[in-house]
Amino acid sequence: MGYLRLLIQQLRMSILLALQYRLDFVVGALLSLIWIAAALVPLVVLFSQRSAVAGWRWHEALIVVGFFTALKGVLDGAIRPALQDVVERIRLGTLDYVLIKPADAQFLVSTTRFELFRVVDVVAGIALVVIALAYGGHWPSAAAIALCLLLLFAAALILYAIWIMVLCLAFIAVKVDNLSFLFASIYDAARWPAGIYRGVVSFVFTFVIPLAVMTTYPALALLERLSAQRTLSALATALVFALLARVAWLASIRRYTSAGG
Amino acid sequence: MTILSDTASVSHAIVANDLAKHYRVHRREAGISAALRSLFARRFETIRAVDGISFAIDPGERVGFLGPNGAGKTTTIKMMAGLLHPTTGTVTVAGHRPAARHHDFLRAITLVAGQKQQLFWDLPPVDTFELNRAIYDVPRAEYRQRLDELVGLLEIESVMQKPTRQLSLGERMKCELAAALIHRPALLFLDEPTIGLDIAMQATIRRFIADYNARHGASVLLTSHYMADVAALCPRVIVIDHGTIIYDGTLEALAQQLRPEKRIELRLTATANAPSAWDCGDRGRIVEREGTRIVIQAPQGVVKEILAQAIDELPINDLTVADAPLEEVLGALFDKAAADRQARDPDQTADTGKSVAIEKR
Amino acid sequence: MSRKEKLFAMVRIGFAESLAYRGEFLIWFLTTNMPLVMMLLWMAVAKDGPVGRFGTREFAAYFLTTVVVRLLTGAWVAWQLTMEIRTGTLARRLLRPVHPFVAYACEQASALPLRALTVAPLVVIILLTLGTDLFSSELSHWVVFPLALAGALCIRLGVMMTIGSLALFWDSALSLYDAWLALFFVFSGYTIPLELFPAWIQPLVNWLPFRYMMSFPVEIVMGHLDGRQLLVAFVYQWGYALLFSVLALTIFRRGLKRYAAFGG
Repeated sequence: MGYLRLLIQQLRMSILLALQYRLDFVVGALLSLIWIAAALVPLVVLFSQRSAVAGWRWHEALIVVGFFTALKGVLDGAIRPALQDVVERIRLGTLDYVLIKPADAQFLVSTTRFELFRVVDVVAGIALVVIALAYGGHWPSAAAIALCLLLLFAAALILYAIWIMVLCLAFIAVKVDNLSFLFASIYDAARWPAGIYRGVVSFVFTFVIPLAVMTTYPALALLERLSAQRTLSALATALVFALLARVAWLASIRRYTSAGG
Repeated sequence: MTILSDTASVSHAIVANDLAKHYRVHRREAGISAALRSLFARRFETIRAVDGISFAIDPGERVGFLGPNGAGKTTTIKMMAGLLHPTTGTVTVAGHRPAARHHDFLRAITLVAGQKQQLFWDLPPVDTFELNRAIYDVPRAEYRQRLDELVGLLEIESVMQKPTRQLSLGERMKCELAAALIHRPALLFLDEPTIGLDIAMQATIRRFIADYNARHGASVLLTSHYMADVAALCPRVIVIDHGTIIYDGTLEALAQQLRPEKRIELRLTATANAPSAWDCGDRGRIVEREGTRIVIQAPQGVVKEILAQAIDELPINDLTVADAPLEEVLGALFDKAAADRQARDPDQTADTGKSVAIEKR
Repeated sequence: MSRKEKLFAMVRIGFAESLAYRGEFLIWFLTTNMPLVMMLLWMAVAKDGPVGRFGTREFAAYFLTTVVVRLLTGAWVAWQLTMEIRTGTLARRLLRPVHPFVAYACEQASALPLRALTVAPLVVIILLTLGTDLFSSELSHWVVFPLALAGALCIRLGVMMTIGSLALFWDSALSLYDAWLALFFVFSGYTIPLELFPAWIQPLVNWLPFRYMMSFPVEIVMGHLDGRQLLVAFVYQWGYALLFSVLALTIFRRGLKRYAAFGG
């Protein structure tokens, strides 16, 4: 269980950092809440006019927004900061110190930095889902919850894989800060149920950047409306993305140490 | 050759055999037409950063890598640390092929680069130590004992509790060393560890490295711009120029070989200017004569006679006898290497930075 | 150098700089996708029947125009100013015989041609796919549209410089801008046409500065405003522009005294 201990140690570093800048922590958390509220306003206005959009009722759409918020917390709290850090290391040449450590380099760089105040997003997202379920009045079965959690894990894995692949571009001297920005803003589209997207947009969000898989599928699972076929395709997608990311990472490191200088 | 290196690696800490690292870089000229042309025929040049070097280093040895910027020192160190894969040739470090980055190998080495830091900027160094303890799987008790030793030797007891960003450069470097040594490596790769430090701090760091080497029998490989570092720490130096080794041996032998003469500096009393007529015959050469100062270069054997003559004939206030400065010895070595290169390959001008071969693809 | 020449020189350098940063601008252009995400949502809503006067085509026209306004009036001064204060490069700016705010405004102005160029294809796409009937046919609307854009840009610069100047007092002043942005998100018409808000919020929306930074120019070209409404809105808009400019200058002057006293 060496890697678990290492993860705890890395988390400890981030906690210590957060403690150094306590005010930033509080301000960040507060801003997160403000933004969550701001993003809810259009939805509230919309559903005061309509009872359903593209087959999604108010509380059902709210589940999607909840998962979007929670996953955004994971993205901004656990995925982006660490990978931003790697870009900086590549620039400064201190990635060497990671590569001479006797532990998997991908694991080390992925766990190097956590923005802890983003926990607020995760908690608020879950709270939104609970509120939505209470509003709907139908509580999901344990199996549905388990499936939903599995799909959320798959979603986080896809996000992580996309960011690793973006990071790999940093090894061939592309300014990835911008690219990371771009992907973060594309992820914004996952805040609505995938059903509202049509045509080309829908195709892209299902197959190229699987946004639909990330937030809509877990919500459908919780509502006990997700078919077995879609479940399997979601899990397969996550697996493929994770494998691609690993291959890209290994190739990048090999390139970094064999050709680069 | 492979057989040799395999058997040799049992007794040696490092064996490099005809080690080379060539880079192919895309060469682009300025201007739009050149950019367009490069779409069809890309021009590559091969930079021979390290061009076939061989050496063996024993456990516990302290070796200095010397050479001008771009000579290939850092590339060599990176190949030994497994951070760069050799283009050709082999290198065996602690019985491993570094490029495989086997965890046992990584546990046996450490790398400290003066210009790159591994300490967390916003956290006290002790937290980085703790992280490295986890990464290297050092048992608690052992960690405590090693840390105590490092803290005692480096005197960083109070320093390591302050955030790194508040430390002076010297304090930071001491903590960098401690962070790099928590896992007690048998091989230290130090790339310019004293860069930017003041003289006193340089001496402290040198003392510490020598001490660590003596206590734990670790091999030390050092590159430095400061000759004093190398002279004080490394009985043996390997001089690299243009990617090849031009000298491997002790510093004394190098000085003996290239600048065997001693240097006598005479300072006359303030009132007397150095008489332009005075000389010491063909025993020695006067290399400088300026104001009240005279500098003479002469073989070891005649120093006594020259001194006797000078004291007899001149109003001497002060005098020193010393070896030629190391910088000068090395300068002479590089000049000689450049002359040798030109003799071998007259087309190539002596002062081009790197040997370059253009190929078309 | 005369004052005019000086300004011209600064604009020219700014233009060259904006050319050098065209990659960054393109990314920024591509990341301005919030209105598009909102557009798709509202279009899905309107599929089952229009919301107020907004059908699917109206929503498309509204949000695409929003993107155009956003791209033409976007600015970075808050970040730039904060960064320059933090790293101390502001000192270099202060040595020049031009007020830093004037320099920033020139940099901003010089980026406009390139931005207009980038926006042009978007406008063509809008007109080709949606036609012209969704937009105002009154010439006067199109005449005052640039003025409304300029007003929106002035408010934005004023607010950004105000908050940027606060960085002279407070390290995390930028988080204030983040909060401002969240309010902008809701009350500017960026994510929802303001007239869809319930009636009791409308007076608030009209009082706040956000509408005049985004929705107002869009409302003009979509022909939603009559002459009186237009006039009132312009008074609000330029009033806010003036207010924030004065505020920014005052805070900057005060902050500078402190900055100088502490030696940066």
